[in-house]
Amino acid sequence: MSEFMGYLRPNGDVGIRNHLLILSGTVYANGVCERVADTIYGAVPIVHANGRCQVAPDLRVTRRYLAGTAMNPNVGAVVIVDHFKEEGMTAEDLADDIAPTGKPIATVNIRGDGGFISAVEKATRYAQDFARQISLCQREAAPMSRILFGTECGTSDTTSGLASNPANGLAGEILIAQGGRMLMAECTEWMGCENWLTEKAASPAVAEAILSGVQHMEARALASGEDIRGSQPTGDNMAGGLSTIEEKSMGAVKKIGDSPIIEYLEIAEAPTKSEPGNYLMYGPGMGAESISSMAAAGCQVLTFCTGGGHTSNHPIMPTIKVTGNRQSFELMRDTVDVDVSGVFTGDITLAEGGQIVYDEVERVCNGYLTKSEALRDNNSFAIHRVGPSI
Amino acid sequence: MKKVFVVYATDNVGTVVLEPISVGDRVSCNGERSDLEVIALADIAYGHKIALMDIAEGDTVLKYGLSIGSANCDIKAGEHVHAHNVESNRGRGDLADRAAVAAE
Repeated sequence: MSEFMGYLRPNGDVGIRNHLLILSGTVYANGVCERVADTIYGAVPIVHANGRCQVAPDLRVTRRYLAGTAMNPNVGAVVIVDHFKEEGMTAEDLADDIAPTGKPIATVNIRGDGGFISAVEKATRYAQDFARQISLCQREAAPMSRILFGTECGTSDTTSGLASNPANGLAGEILIAQGGRMLMAECTEWMGCENWLTEKAASPAVAEAILSGVQHMEARALASGEDIRGSQPTGDNMAGGLSTIEEKSMGAVKKIGDSPIIEYLEIAEAPTKSEPGNYLMYGPGMGAESISSMAAAGCQVLTFCTGGGHTSNHPIMPTIKVTGNRQSFELMRDTVDVDVSGVFTGDITLAEGGQIVYDEVERVCNGYLTKSEALRDNNSFAIHRVGPSI
Repeated sequence: MKKVFVVYATDNVGTVVLEPISVGDRVSCNGERSDLEVIALADIAYGHKIALMDIAEGDTVLKYGLSIGSANCDIKAGEHVHAHNVESNRGRGDLADRAAVAAE
């Protein structure tokens, strides 16, 4: 059972980073948040287009994303900014959601605090205090079982299903064997291999939830006029060598290994269980929305498997890019972290590929910066919408 | 000798991931079945699959150790395996209809 050096939070969570979050409660507070983050060492702004004129179910999802991101163990302290009074999701509402974590929280209201300039000043002073306060946190030893390991794939190609995804599934098994948990979302990609997933469900209720999640996403796609099932695999998939929907989907879901599926989660919802194993979450294939939902669920680290190469990086959840395409690795050498293309040439086995991915995850948990973290290219915070703007 | 990739030990197909395969090529496997060797019976492009053993009509085509469909004709070792000789077993309303007709 191996350990990593992490940041112990007041509620017992263990982070692998120690970020100060400047959280925008609404699109109209984004400017203040960015200005504060520009000033303060290590501050990370979370800005987005939501928080106003949303229908209630959609606003609930947005609130889970925002509060969940702040509750993530990688966040040490939070300054929340809103602009006036947001219906159903004020800065105080968000602070109430985050409060059980015990981390320092401050709220600023642009109107209440006297306008943009005063709000920037007030929020900047809070942020300065918090930045210094959390700088006192020291890394300490924690078991790898405390890690919730998220996984995603995007810009997939022929190599993805054969190398990066199955190697990643084996890496997940190594973590689970030490008591850890792995989380996979993107239920659109479960179509065609529901049986493989439901066979692993820890209970009939979990199996039922997995099936209803797939059906729900399919119904939403149909309602938009898209027939995603009837058109799978797509013409370019067929030209690329994929023959059936089963083959395509297996390539995607092999990002997780054979361990039981312990719990099914709604989008951006944190697991309620702590048993080692796999966890599945409802959500779209859209990468930034998907990985942001996993960060909101509490994932400290994420592997992003890619064929064509990728720049995706979440602002507070280190995003390790893994590819089985050597050409993509060469072209995207400054954003793709791990190359497992050696499985094709026989230089490494898939099991060795799994160990390579796991070792990188463990290093990143101990503080090693991903390539995109070093670039501060925090491009992948996005919120999934389940309703229209009204 | 040209190489294809086999992702799981019980698979009966391999995938072309290095140089493309031409008719008559001797082909061996990287990945999980380094013991197998076949003669290619077709040109097979990057990303496409080759049968590693004879697969009888109706047999399951295995990749990832799991079914990716059924052979709709006898497939010889070395043949190209794709939508022309393997059929999905999922979302098959037509099969359900045929079964209903047969039951009447």
